[in-house]
Amino acid sequence: MARKPIIGWFALAAVLLGFPLVFNGEYYEQLAAFVILSAISASAWNLVGGYAGQVSVGHAVYFGAGAYMPLLFYKLWAASPLLGFPAGIAVSVVIAVVIGVPTFRLSGHYFSMATIAVAELIRIVVSDWDFLGGAIGLMGPATPRGWWDLIWRSSLPYYYIFLAVLGLLLYITHRMERTRLGYYLRAIRANDRAARSLGVPVSRYKLYALMLSAAFTSLAGSLYAAKFGFVDPGSALGILVSVQMVVMAALGGAGRLLGPLLGAVILVPLQTTTNSFFGGQGTGLAFILYGGIIMLLSRYAPGGLIEVWERFQARRDAGTARRSAERNGDARAA
Amino acid sequence: MLLKAANVSKAFGGFFAVSDASLEVGEGEIVGLIGPNGAGKSTFFNCLAGDFKPTSGRVFFDGHDVTEAAAETHARLGIGRTFQLPAIFEELTVLENVMVGAFLRHPREDDARAAARRVLALTGLERISDQPARSLGTPGRKRLGIARVLATEPRLILLDEALAGLTPTEIHQAIELVRAIHRTGITLVIVEHIMEVILTLAERIVVFNQGRVIAHGRPQEIVNDPAVIAAYLGRSHARRADKP
Repeated sequence: MARKPIIGWFALAAVLLGFPLVFNGEYYEQLAAFVILSAISASAWNLVGGYAGQVSVGHAVYFGAGAYMPLLFYKLWAASPLLGFPAGIAVSVVIAVVIGVPTFRLSGHYFSMATIAVAELIRIVVSDWDFLGGAIGLMGPATPRGWWDLIWRSSLPYYYIFLAVLGLLLYITHRMERTRLGYYLRAIRANDRAARSLGVPVSRYKLYALMLSAAFTSLAGSLYAAKFGFVDPGSALGILVSVQMVVMAALGGAGRLLGPLLGAVILVPLQTTTNSFFGGQGTGLAFILYGGIIMLLSRYAPGGLIEVWERFQARRDAGTARRSAERNGDARAA
Repeated sequence: MLLKAANVSKAFGGFFAVSDASLEVGEGEIVGLIGPNGAGKSTFFNCLAGDFKPTSGRVFFDGHDVTEAAAETHARLGIGRTFQLPAIFEELTVLENVMVGAFLRHPREDDARAAARRVLALTGLERISDQPARSLGTPGRKRLGIARVLATEPRLILLDEALAGLTPTEIHQAIELVRAIHRTGITLVIVEHIMEVILTLAERIVVFNQGRVIAHGRPQEIVNDPAVIAAYLGRSHARRADKP
Protein backbone atom coordinates (compact mmCIF):
# COMPACT_ATOMS: atom_id res chain seq x y z
CA MET A 1 0.00 0.00 0.00
CA ALA A 2 2.92 2.28 0.65
CA ARG A 3 4.00 1.89 -2.97
CA LYS A 4 0.68 2.64 -4.64
CA PRO A 5 -1.18 4.71 -2.06
CA ILE A 6 -4.08 5.67 -4.36
CA ILE A 7 -4.97 2.05 -5.07
CA GLY A 8 -4.73 1.28 -1.37
CA TRP A 9 -7.15 4.07 -0.52
CA PHE A 10 -9.66 2.95 -3.16
CA ALA A 11 -9.44 -0.63 -1.92
CA LEU A 12 -10.02 0.44 1.66
CA ALA A 13 -12.99 2.62 0.67
CA ALA A 14 -14.46 -0.22 -1.41
CA VAL A 15 -14.17 -2.70 1.45
CA LEU A 16 -15.78 -0.31 3.93
CA LEU A 17 -18.56 0.76 1.56
CA GLY A 18 -19.30 -2.76 0.39
CA PHE A 19 -19.02 -4.64 3.68
CA PRO A 20 -22.72 -4.54 4.63
CA LEU A 21 -23.71 -5.56 1.11
CA VAL A 22 -21.73 -8.77 1.45
CA PHE A 23 -22.32 -9.52 5.13
CA ASN A 24 -25.95 -8.58 5.49
CA GLY A 25 -28.24 -9.25 8.36
CA GLU A 26 -28.79 -7.11 11.46
CA TYR A 27 -26.02 -8.74 13.50
CA TYR A 28 -23.26 -7.87 11.03
CA GLU A 29 -24.71 -4.46 10.22
CA GLN A 30 -24.90 -3.46 13.88
CA LEU A 31 -21.42 -4.80 14.49
CA ALA A 32 -20.04 -2.91 11.49
CA ALA A 33 -21.74 0.31 12.58
CA PHE A 34 -20.23 -0.07 16.03
CA VAL A 35 -16.77 -0.72 14.59
CA ILE A 36 -16.95 2.52 12.61
CA LEU A 37 -18.33 4.50 15.54
CA SER A 38 -15.49 3.25 17.76
CA ALA A 39 -13.03 4.10 15.01
CA ILE A 40 -14.35 7.68 14.97
CA SER A 41 -13.83 8.22 18.69
CA ALA A 42 -10.44 6.47 18.67
CA SER A 43 -9.32 8.50 15.63
CA ALA A 44 -10.47 11.68 17.37
CA TRP A 45 -8.49 10.67 20.46
CA ASN A 46 -5.52 9.98 18.18
CA LEU A 47 -5.19 13.69 17.32
CA VAL A 48 -4.11 14.61 20.83
CA GLY A 49 -3.16 11.22 22.29
CA GLY A 50 -1.33 9.92 19.22
CA TYR A 51 0.01 12.78 17.14
CA ALA A 52 0.69 15.15 20.04
CA GLY A 53 1.57 12.27 22.40
CA GLN A 54 -0.58 13.60 25.24
CA VAL A 55 -2.20 10.42 26.52
CA SER A 56 -5.60 11.52 27.78
CA VAL A 57 -7.55 8.84 29.62
CA GLY A 58 -10.46 11.20 30.17
CA HIS A 59 -11.91 11.52 26.72
CA ALA A 60 -15.20 10.07 27.97
CA VAL A 61 -15.94 13.64 29.09
CA TYR A 62 -16.16 14.82 25.48
CA PHE A 63 -17.91 11.65 24.33
CA GLY A 64 -20.39 12.11 27.19
CA ALA A 65 -21.01 15.78 26.40
CA GLY A 66 -21.73 14.80 22.83
CA ALA A 67 -24.00 11.94 23.88
CA TYR A 68 -25.98 13.86 26.49
CA MET A 69 -26.59 17.05 24.56
CA PRO A 70 -28.91 15.73 21.79
CA LEU A 71 -31.03 13.82 24.29
CA LEU A 72 -31.11 16.81 26.62
CA PHE A 73 -32.40 18.94 23.74
CA TYR A 74 -35.12 16.34 23.20
CA LYS A 75 -36.00 16.18 26.89
CA LEU A 76 -36.20 19.96 27.32
CA TRP A 77 -37.78 21.11 24.09
CA ALA A 78 -38.69 17.90 22.25
CA ALA A 79 -36.19 19.11 19.66
CA SER A 80 -34.53 16.97 17.04
CA PRO A 81 -31.43 15.30 18.48
CA LEU A 82 -29.63 16.71 15.49
CA LEU A 83 -29.79 20.19 17.06
CA GLY A 84 -27.88 18.84 20.03
CA PHE A 85 -24.89 17.85 17.85
CA PRO A 86 -23.39 21.35 17.50
CA ALA A 87 -24.28 22.11 21.12
CA GLY A 88 -22.33 19.04 22.20
CA ILE A 89 -19.35 20.11 20.13
CA ALA A 90 -19.45 23.62 21.61
CA VAL A 91 -19.67 22.30 25.17
CA SER A 92 -16.83 19.84 24.53
CA VAL A 93 -14.52 22.48 23.10
CA VAL A 94 -15.19 24.72 26.11
CA ILE A 95 -14.51 21.80 28.48
CA ALA A 96 -11.35 21.01 26.50
CA VAL A 97 -10.01 24.52 27.11
CA VAL A 98 -11.01 24.49 30.79
CA ILE A 99 -9.40 21.07 31.36
CA GLY A 100 -6.50 21.53 28.94
CA VAL A 101 -5.04 24.76 30.25
CA PRO A 102 -4.26 23.43 33.75
CA THR A 103 -3.59 19.75 32.91
CA PHE A 104 -1.18 20.45 30.04
CA ARG A 105 1.17 21.88 32.64
CA LEU A 106 1.67 18.26 33.66
CA SER A 107 3.49 15.75 31.54
CA GLY A 108 3.58 12.02 30.98
CA HIS A 109 1.75 9.87 33.51
CA TYR A 110 0.81 12.85 35.63
CA PHE A 111 -1.16 14.31 32.74
CA SER A 112 -2.93 10.98 32.16
CA MET A 113 -3.83 10.65 35.84
CA ALA A 114 -5.19 14.19 35.94
CA THR A 115 -7.46 13.47 32.97
CA ILE A 116 -8.77 10.32 34.69
CA ALA A 117 -9.50 12.29 37.83
CA VAL A 118 -11.40 15.03 36.00
CA ALA A 119 -13.43 12.52 33.97
CA GLU A 120 -14.39 10.45 37.01
CA LEU A 121 -15.35 13.61 38.88
CA ILE A 122 -17.64 14.67 36.06
CA ARG A 123 -19.18 11.17 35.85
CA ILE A 124 -19.98 11.25 39.57
CA VAL A 125 -21.47 14.76 39.37
CA VAL A 126 -23.65 13.81 36.40
CA SER A 127 -24.81 10.64 38.21
CA ASP A 128 -26.24 12.83 40.96
CA TRP A 129 -27.66 15.56 38.73
CA ASP A 130 -31.38 15.13 38.09
CA PHE A 131 -31.32 17.72 35.31
CA LEU A 132 -29.27 15.21 33.30
CA GLY A 133 -31.33 12.23 34.46
CA GLY A 134 -29.04 11.24 37.33
CA ALA A 135 -28.00 7.62 37.45
CA ILE A 136 -30.87 6.61 35.13
CA GLY A 137 -29.81 8.79 32.23
CA LEU A 138 -31.73 10.29 29.32
CA MET A 139 -33.94 8.84 26.58
CA GLY A 140 -34.46 9.95 23.01
CA PRO A 141 -37.70 9.89 21.04
CA ALA A 142 -39.26 6.41 21.02
CA THR A 143 -40.66 6.60 17.50
CA PRO A 144 -39.33 8.75 14.68
CA ARG A 145 -41.24 11.96 13.90
CA GLY A 146 -39.23 12.50 10.74
CA TRP A 147 -35.82 11.69 9.28
CA TRP A 148 -34.38 14.46 11.46
CA ASP A 149 -34.90 12.30 14.54
CA LEU A 150 -32.27 9.99 13.08
CA ILE A 151 -34.18 6.85 14.03
CA TRP A 152 -34.12 3.84 11.77
CA ARG A 153 -34.92 0.25 12.52
CA SER A 154 -31.96 -0.99 10.49
CA SER A 155 -28.33 -0.28 11.38
CA LEU A 156 -27.48 0.30 7.76
CA PRO A 157 -28.23 4.07 7.58
CA TYR A 158 -26.19 4.58 10.74
CA TYR A 159 -23.34 2.60 9.26
CA TYR A 160 -23.12 4.90 6.24
CA ILE A 161 -23.53 8.07 8.32
CA PHE A 162 -20.75 6.91 10.65
CA LEU A 163 -18.62 6.02 7.66
CA ALA A 164 -19.07 9.51 6.20
CA VAL A 165 -18.04 11.12 9.48
CA LEU A 166 -15.04 8.80 9.78
CA GLY A 167 -14.07 9.65 6.21
CA LEU A 168 -14.28 13.37 6.99
CA LEU A 169 -12.23 12.96 10.18
CA LEU A 170 -9.52 10.90 8.48
CA TYR A 171 -9.40 13.37 5.60
CA ILE A 172 -8.93 16.28 8.01
CA THR A 173 -6.29 14.31 9.91
CA HIS A 174 -4.49 13.46 6.69
CA ARG A 175 -4.49 17.11 5.67
CA MET A 176 -3.30 18.10 9.13
CA GLU A 177 -0.30 15.78 8.84
CA ARG A 178 0.94 18.01 6.03
CA THR A 179 0.57 21.35 7.81
CA ARG A 180 2.57 23.20 10.41
CA LEU A 181 0.15 21.91 13.07
CA GLY A 182 0.92 18.31 12.14
CA TYR A 183 4.69 18.75 12.22
CA TYR A 184 4.54 20.73 15.45
CA LEU A 185 2.44 18.07 17.18
CA ARG A 186 4.89 15.33 16.23
CA ALA A 187 7.77 17.51 17.42
CA ILE A 188 6.00 18.08 20.74
CA ARG A 189 5.46 14.35 21.11
CA ALA A 190 9.13 13.64 20.36
CA ASN A 191 10.67 16.29 22.60
CA ASP A 192 8.72 19.26 23.87
CA ARG A 193 11.74 21.12 25.23
CA ALA A 194 13.52 20.98 21.89
CA ALA A 195 10.30 21.98 20.12
CA ARG A 196 10.04 25.03 22.36
CA SER A 197 13.62 26.01 21.55
CA LEU A 198 12.66 26.07 17.86
CA GLY A 199 9.85 28.52 18.50
CA VAL A 200 6.97 26.04 18.81
CA PRO A 201 4.33 27.48 21.19
CA VAL A 202 3.92 24.09 22.85
CA SER A 203 0.98 24.79 25.17
CA ARG A 204 -1.01 26.53 22.46
CA TYR A 205 -0.56 23.74 19.94
CA LYS A 206 -1.43 21.05 22.48
CA LEU A 207 -4.61 22.98 23.14
CA TYR A 208 -5.43 23.23 19.42
CA ALA A 209 -5.04 19.47 19.13
CA LEU A 210 -7.22 18.86 22.18
CA MET A 211 -9.96 21.18 20.91
CA LEU A 212 -10.09 19.46 17.53
CA SER A 213 -9.97 16.06 19.22
CA ALA A 214 -12.74 16.99 21.67
CA ALA A 215 -14.98 18.25 18.86
CA PHE A 216 -14.82 14.95 16.98
CA THR A 217 -15.04 12.82 20.13
CA SER A 218 -18.20 14.75 20.95
CA LEU A 219 -19.55 14.07 17.47
CA ALA A 220 -18.95 10.35 18.06
CA GLY A 221 -20.89 10.64 21.32
CA SER A 222 -23.80 12.38 19.55
CA LEU A 223 -23.91 9.68 16.90
CA TYR A 224 -23.90 7.04 19.62
CA ALA A 225 -26.86 8.73 21.34
CA ALA A 226 -28.73 9.03 18.05
CA LYS A 227 -28.31 5.34 17.30
CA PHE A 228 -29.04 3.93 20.74
CA GLY A 229 -31.54 6.58 21.84
CA PHE A 230 -30.37 6.30 25.41
CA VAL A 231 -27.42 7.41 27.57
CA ASP A 232 -26.49 6.94 31.20
CA PRO A 233 -23.34 7.92 33.11
CA GLY A 234 -21.80 4.47 32.79
CA SER A 235 -22.20 4.04 29.04
CA ALA A 236 -21.25 7.61 28.04
CA LEU A 237 -18.95 8.86 30.79
CA GLY A 238 -17.45 5.70 32.29
CA ILE A 239 -13.71 5.17 32.33
CA LEU A 240 -14.14 2.21 29.99
CA VAL A 241 -15.20 4.65 27.26
CA SER A 242 -11.90 6.52 27.62
CA VAL A 243 -9.79 3.39 27.95
CA GLN A 244 -11.37 1.89 24.85
CA MET A 245 -10.23 4.87 22.73
CA VAL A 246 -6.69 4.61 24.09
CA VAL A 247 -6.42 0.85 23.59
CA MET A 248 -7.86 0.88 20.06
CA ALA A 249 -5.55 3.64 18.90
CA ALA A 250 -2.53 2.07 20.59
CA LEU A 251 -3.29 -1.40 19.21
CA GLY A 252 -3.40 -0.20 15.61
CA GLY A 253 -0.79 2.50 16.02
CA ALA A 254 -1.07 5.79 17.91
CA GLY A 255 -0.12 8.76 15.79
CA ARG A 256 -0.84 6.82 12.61
CA LEU A 257 -3.71 7.85 10.35
CA LEU A 258 -5.28 4.37 10.13
CA GLY A 259 -4.09 3.01 13.48
CA PRO A 260 -7.34 3.60 15.38
CA LEU A 261 -9.47 2.14 12.56
CA LEU A 262 -7.33 -1.01 12.54
CA GLY A 263 -7.62 -1.22 16.33
CA ALA A 264 -11.39 -0.88 16.16
CA VAL A 265 -11.69 -3.50 13.43
CA ILE A 266 -9.86 -5.99 15.65
CA LEU A 267 -11.19 -5.09 19.09
CA VAL A 268 -14.89 -4.40 18.59
CA PRO A 269 -15.77 -7.83 17.12
CA LEU A 270 -13.64 -9.48 19.82
CA GLN A 271 -15.48 -7.55 22.49
CA THR A 272 -18.91 -8.25 21.02
CA THR A 273 -18.19 -11.96 20.82
CA THR A 274 -17.00 -12.20 24.40
CA ASN A 275 -19.98 -10.15 25.56
CA SER A 276 -22.51 -12.36 23.81
CA PHE A 277 -20.64 -15.49 24.91
CA PHE A 278 -20.75 -14.55 28.58
CA GLY A 279 -24.16 -12.85 28.41
CA GLY A 280 -24.73 -9.94 30.78
CA GLN A 281 -21.75 -10.92 32.92
CA GLY A 282 -19.29 -10.05 30.17
CA THR A 283 -18.70 -6.36 30.88
CA GLY A 284 -15.98 -6.97 33.45
CA LEU A 285 -14.17 -9.09 30.92
CA ALA A 286 -13.52 -6.06 28.71
CA PHE A 287 -11.30 -4.60 31.46
CA ILE A 288 -9.27 -7.81 31.61
CA LEU A 289 -8.98 -7.87 27.83
CA TYR A 290 -7.85 -4.22 27.69
CA GLY A 291 -5.40 -4.75 30.52
CA GLY A 292 -3.89 -7.73 28.73
CA ILE A 293 -3.61 -5.84 25.45
CA ILE A 294 -1.98 -2.85 27.14
CA MET A 295 0.62 -5.12 28.73
CA LEU A 296 1.39 -6.99 25.52
CA LEU A 297 1.61 -3.77 23.51
CA SER A 298 3.91 -1.94 25.89
CA ARG A 299 6.17 -4.99 26.10
CA TYR A 300 6.34 -6.08 22.47
CA ALA A 301 4.94 -3.39 20.17
CA PRO A 302 4.71 0.10 21.66
CA GLY A 303 4.28 1.46 18.13
CA GLY A 304 1.21 -0.69 17.47
CA LEU A 305 0.42 -3.24 14.79
CA ILE A 306 1.08 -0.90 11.85
CA GLU A 307 4.66 -0.51 13.03
CA VAL A 308 5.03 -4.28 13.48
CA TRP A 309 3.85 -4.72 9.89
CA GLU A 310 6.26 -2.07 8.61
CA ARG A 311 9.17 -3.63 10.44
CA PHE A 312 8.25 -7.02 9.00
CA GLN A 313 8.04 -5.54 5.50
CA ALA A 314 11.34 -3.70 5.84
CA ARG A 315 13.06 -6.94 6.86
CA ARG A 316 11.48 -8.77 3.93
CA ASP A 317 12.55 -6.04 1.49
CA ALA A 318 16.07 -6.13 2.87
CA GLY A 319 16.06 -9.91 2.46
CA THR A 320 14.88 -9.67 -1.15
CA ALA A 321 17.49 -7.06 -1.95
CA ARG A 322 20.24 -9.18 -0.42
CA ARG A 323 19.14 -12.30 -2.25
CA SER A 324 18.98 -10.52 -5.62
CA ALA A 325 22.40 -8.99 -4.94
CA GLU A 326 23.77 -12.47 -4.20
CA ARG A 327 22.22 -13.80 -7.37
CA ASN A 328 23.81 -11.04 -9.42
CA GLY A 329 27.12 -11.69 -7.71
CA ASP A 330 26.85 -15.42 -8.53
CA ALA A 331 26.05 -14.61 -12.13
CA ARG A 332 29.12 -12.43 -12.42
CA ALA A 333 31.32 -14.99 -10.70
CA ALA A 334 30.09 -17.70 -13.05
CA MET B 1 25.09 45.17 21.70
CA LEU B 2 23.09 42.28 20.34
CA LEU B 3 22.97 40.31 23.57
CA LYS B 4 23.49 41.72 27.01
CA ALA B 5 23.28 39.88 30.32
CA ALA B 6 23.52 42.15 33.34
CA ASN B 7 24.34 40.71 36.78
CA VAL B 8 22.53 37.43 36.19
CA SER B 9 22.20 35.08 39.14
CA LYS B 10 20.43 31.74 39.31
CA ALA B 11 19.83 29.90 42.56
CA PHE B 12 18.53 26.37 43.04
CA GLY B 13 17.24 26.41 46.60
CA GLY B 14 20.07 28.05 48.55
CA PHE B 15 22.76 27.14 46.04
CA PHE B 16 23.83 29.77 43.54
CA ALA B 17 24.79 27.98 40.32
CA VAL B 18 25.43 31.36 38.73
CA SER B 19 26.08 34.52 40.66
CA ASP B 20 26.31 38.01 39.30
CA ALA B 21 27.45 37.07 35.80
CA SER B 22 27.50 39.68 33.06
CA LEU B 23 28.16 39.28 29.36
CA GLU B 24 27.96 41.47 26.30
CA VAL B 25 28.01 40.11 22.77
CA GLY B 26 28.17 42.38 19.73
CA GLU B 27 26.64 41.61 16.36
CA GLY B 28 28.86 39.28 14.31
CA GLU B 29 31.08 38.17 17.21
CA ILE B 30 32.05 34.67 18.28
CA VAL B 31 32.23 34.52 22.05
CA GLY B 32 33.37 31.47 23.98
CA LEU B 33 32.05 30.48 27.37
CA ILE B 34 34.40 28.14 29.16
CA GLY B 35 34.99 26.74 32.60
CA PRO B 36 35.52 23.42 34.35
CA ASN B 37 32.62 21.00 34.88
CA GLY B 38 30.00 22.41 37.24
CA ALA B 39 31.24 25.96 36.80
CA GLY B 40 27.72 27.20 36.02
CA LYS B 41 28.21 27.87 32.34
CA SER B 42 25.35 25.62 31.28
CA THR B 43 23.02 27.21 33.81
CA PHE B 44 24.02 30.66 32.62
CA PHE B 45 23.52 29.49 29.05
CA ASN B 46 20.01 28.26 29.87
CA CYS B 47 19.22 31.64 31.39
CA LEU B 48 20.24 33.27 28.10
CA ALA B 49 18.13 30.79 26.08
CA GLY B 50 15.02 31.29 28.18
CA ASP B 51 14.95 27.78 29.61
CA PHE B 52 15.60 29.12 33.11
CA LYS B 53 14.35 32.38 34.58
CA PRO B 54 17.23 34.11 36.38
CA THR B 55 16.76 34.63 40.12
CA SER B 56 18.04 38.17 39.64
CA GLY B 57 19.59 40.27 36.89
CA ARG B 58 18.32 41.03 33.39
CA VAL B 59 18.91 39.68 29.89
CA PHE B 60 18.47 41.91 26.83
CA PHE B 61 18.43 40.88 23.20
CA ASP B 62 18.56 43.59 20.55
CA GLY B 63 17.07 46.06 23.02
CA HIS B 64 14.23 43.77 24.18
CA ASP B 65 14.14 42.64 27.78
CA VAL B 66 13.90 38.84 27.41
CA THR B 67 14.56 37.95 31.05
CA GLU B 68 11.04 36.63 31.64
CA ALA B 69 10.28 35.56 28.06
CA ALA B 70 9.53 31.91 27.26
CA ALA B 71 11.95 29.77 25.25
CA GLU B 72 9.71 29.93 22.16
CA THR B 73 9.71 33.74 22.32
CA HIS B 74 13.50 33.68 22.27
CA ALA B 75 13.37 31.64 19.09
CA ARG B 76 10.92 34.05 17.51
CA LEU B 77 13.10 37.05 18.37
CA GLY B 78 16.10 35.37 16.76
CA ILE B 79 17.96 33.55 19.53
CA GLY B 80 18.59 29.94 18.59
CA ARG B 81 20.16 27.27 20.74
CA THR B 82 21.46 23.73 20.53
CA PHE B 83 21.47 21.15 23.30
CA GLN B 84 24.44 19.46 24.90
CA LEU B 85 22.79 16.09 24.31
CA PRO B 86 21.30 16.73 20.87
CA ALA B 87 17.56 16.57 21.59
CA ILE B 88 16.60 15.59 18.06
CA PHE B 89 13.11 14.35 17.15
CA GLU B 90 13.91 10.64 16.91
CA GLU B 91 10.79 9.50 15.04
CA LEU B 92 11.04 12.20 12.37
CA THR B 93 13.32 12.11 9.36
CA VAL B 94 16.33 14.42 9.10
CA LEU B 95 14.43 16.67 6.70
CA GLU B 96 11.35 16.77 8.94
CA ASN B 97 13.50 17.68 11.95
CA VAL B 98 14.81 20.70 10.08
CA MET B 99 11.35 21.56 8.77
CA VAL B 100 10.06 21.93 12.32
CA GLY B 101 12.58 24.74 12.70
CA ALA B 102 11.81 26.20 9.28
CA PHE B 103 8.07 26.45 10.03
CA LEU B 104 8.85 29.33 12.39
CA ARG B 105 9.43 31.70 9.45
CA HIS B 106 7.65 29.72 6.71
CA PRO B 107 4.13 28.72 7.73
CA ARG B 108 3.41 26.81 4.49
CA GLU B 109 4.70 23.26 4.12
CA ASP B 110 6.27 23.74 0.66
CA ASP B 111 8.12 26.88 1.75
CA ALA B 112 9.28 25.20 4.94
CA ARG B 113 10.56 22.20 2.99
CA ALA B 114 12.43 24.40 0.53
CA ALA B 115 14.00 26.39 3.37
CA ALA B 116 14.93 23.17 5.17
CA ARG B 117 16.62 21.81 2.04
CA ARG B 118 18.76 24.95 1.76
CA VAL B 119 19.88 24.44 5.36
CA LEU B 120 20.59 20.75 4.74
CA ALA B 121 22.80 21.71 1.81
CA LEU B 122 24.73 24.20 3.93
CA THR B 123 25.24 21.71 6.76
CA GLY B 124 26.11 18.80 4.47
CA LEU B 125 23.14 16.65 5.48
CA GLU B 126 21.31 16.59 2.16
CA ARG B 127 22.39 13.05 1.29
CA ILE B 128 20.71 11.63 4.38
CA SER B 129 17.70 13.93 4.42
CA ASP B 130 15.17 11.10 4.22
CA GLN B 131 16.75 8.91 6.88
CA PRO B 132 15.02 8.65 10.24
CA ALA B 133 16.85 10.85 12.73
CA ARG B 134 17.19 7.95 15.15
CA SER B 135 19.62 6.27 12.77
CA LEU B 136 22.21 9.04 13.18
CA GLY B 137 25.35 8.74 15.30
CA THR B 138 26.75 11.46 17.55
CA PRO B 139 28.34 13.66 14.85
CA GLY B 140 25.20 13.47 12.71
CA ARG B 141 23.01 14.32 15.67
CA LYS B 142 25.12 17.34 16.60
CA ARG B 143 25.04 18.49 13.00
CA LEU B 144 21.29 17.99 12.81
CA GLY B 145 20.86 19.98 16.03
CA ILE B 146 22.72 22.85 14.40
CA ALA B 147 20.82 22.51 11.10
CA ARG B 148 17.50 22.57 12.93
CA VAL B 149 18.28 25.79 14.74
CA LEU B 150 19.69 27.38 11.57
CA ALA B 151 16.33 26.76 9.95
CA THR B 152 14.70 29.13 12.44
CA GLU B 153 16.82 31.86 10.78
CA PRO B 154 18.33 33.19 14.00
CA ARG B 155 20.57 36.21 14.45
CA LEU B 156 22.35 34.61 17.39
CA ILE B 157 23.01 30.94 18.06
CA LEU B 158 23.93 29.59 21.46
CA LEU B 159 25.95 26.41 20.88
CA ASP B 160 26.03 24.10 23.89
CA GLU B 161 29.06 21.77 23.67
CA ALA B 162 28.57 21.22 19.96
CA LEU B 163 31.95 19.48 19.77
CA ALA B 164 31.98 17.27 22.84
CA GLY B 165 32.16 13.57 22.08
CA LEU B 166 33.57 14.00 18.57
CA THR B 167 36.77 12.54 17.17
CA PRO B 168 39.54 14.95 16.04
CA THR B 169 38.48 14.65 12.37
CA GLU B 170 34.86 15.27 13.26
CA ILE B 171 35.89 18.24 15.41
CA HIS B 172 37.74 19.67 12.45
CA GLN B 173 34.65 19.32 10.25
CA ALA B 174 32.44 20.81 12.95
CA ILE B 175 34.76 23.81 13.28
CA GLU B 176 34.50 24.37 9.54
CA LEU B 177 30.70 24.28 9.85
CA VAL B 178 30.74 26.80 12.70
CA ARG B 179 32.95 29.10 10.62
CA ALA B 180 30.61 28.75 7.63
CA ILE B 181 27.66 29.69 9.82
CA HIS B 182 29.54 32.68 11.17
CA ARG B 183 30.30 33.82 7.63
CA THR B 184 26.56 34.06 6.93
CA GLY B 185 26.45 36.84 9.51
CA ILE B 186 25.17 34.92 12.51
CA THR B 187 26.53 35.82 15.93
CA LEU B 188 27.68 32.87 18.04
CA VAL B 189 28.06 32.12 21.71
CA ILE B 190 29.82 28.81 22.23
CA VAL B 191 29.97 26.83 25.44
CA GLU B 192 32.84 24.37 25.48
CA HIS B 193 35.09 22.74 27.93
CA ILE B 194 37.64 21.71 25.31
CA MET B 195 40.04 24.67 25.57
CA GLU B 196 41.93 24.02 22.34
CA VAL B 197 38.76 24.24 20.26
CA ILE B 198 37.51 27.43 21.75
CA LEU B 199 40.89 29.13 21.41
CA THR B 200 40.87 28.63 17.65
CA LEU B 201 37.26 29.74 17.21
CA ALA B 202 36.40 32.50 19.62
CA GLU B 203 37.42 36.12 19.35
CA ARG B 204 36.58 36.72 22.98
CA ILE B 205 36.33 34.31 25.89
CA VAL B 206 34.50 34.43 29.19
CA VAL B 207 35.70 32.03 31.88
CA PHE B 208 33.40 30.68 34.57
CA ASN B 209 34.35 29.04 37.83
CA GLN B 210 32.08 28.19 40.74
CA GLY B 211 29.25 30.25 39.34
CA ARG B 212 31.27 33.41 38.78
CA VAL B 213 32.95 35.03 35.83
CA ILE B 214 36.63 34.88 36.77
CA ALA B 215 38.14 36.24 33.57
CA HIS B 216 37.30 37.57 30.16
CA GLY B 217 39.39 38.70 27.25
CA ARG B 218 41.14 37.57 24.08
CA PRO B 219 42.25 33.94 23.86
CA GLN B 220 45.95 34.78 24.45
CA GLU B 221 45.11 36.79 27.55
CA ILE B 222 42.94 33.99 28.88
CA VAL B 223 45.52 31.22 28.60
CA ASN B 224 48.03 33.24 30.58
CA ASP B 225 45.58 34.38 33.25
CA PRO B 226 46.63 32.88 36.61
CA ALA B 227 43.03 32.65 37.82
CA VAL B 228 42.08 30.60 34.77
CA ILE B 229 45.06 28.29 35.16
CA ALA B 230 44.20 27.82 38.80
CA ALA B 231 40.60 26.98 37.96
CA TYR B 232 41.59 24.40 35.36
CA LEU B 233 44.76 22.92 36.79
CA GLY B 234 44.69 23.75 40.47
CA ARG B 235 46.56 26.34 42.51
CA SER B 236 49.97 24.72 42.48
CA HIS B 237 50.12 24.98 38.71
CA ALA B 238 49.07 28.60 38.89
CA ARG B 239 51.90 29.40 41.30
CA ARG B 240 54.36 27.63 39.05
CA ALA B 241 53.06 29.68 36.13
CA ASP B 242 53.50 32.86 38.17
CA LYS B 243 57.21 32.39 38.80
CA PRO B 244 58.73 30.63 35.84
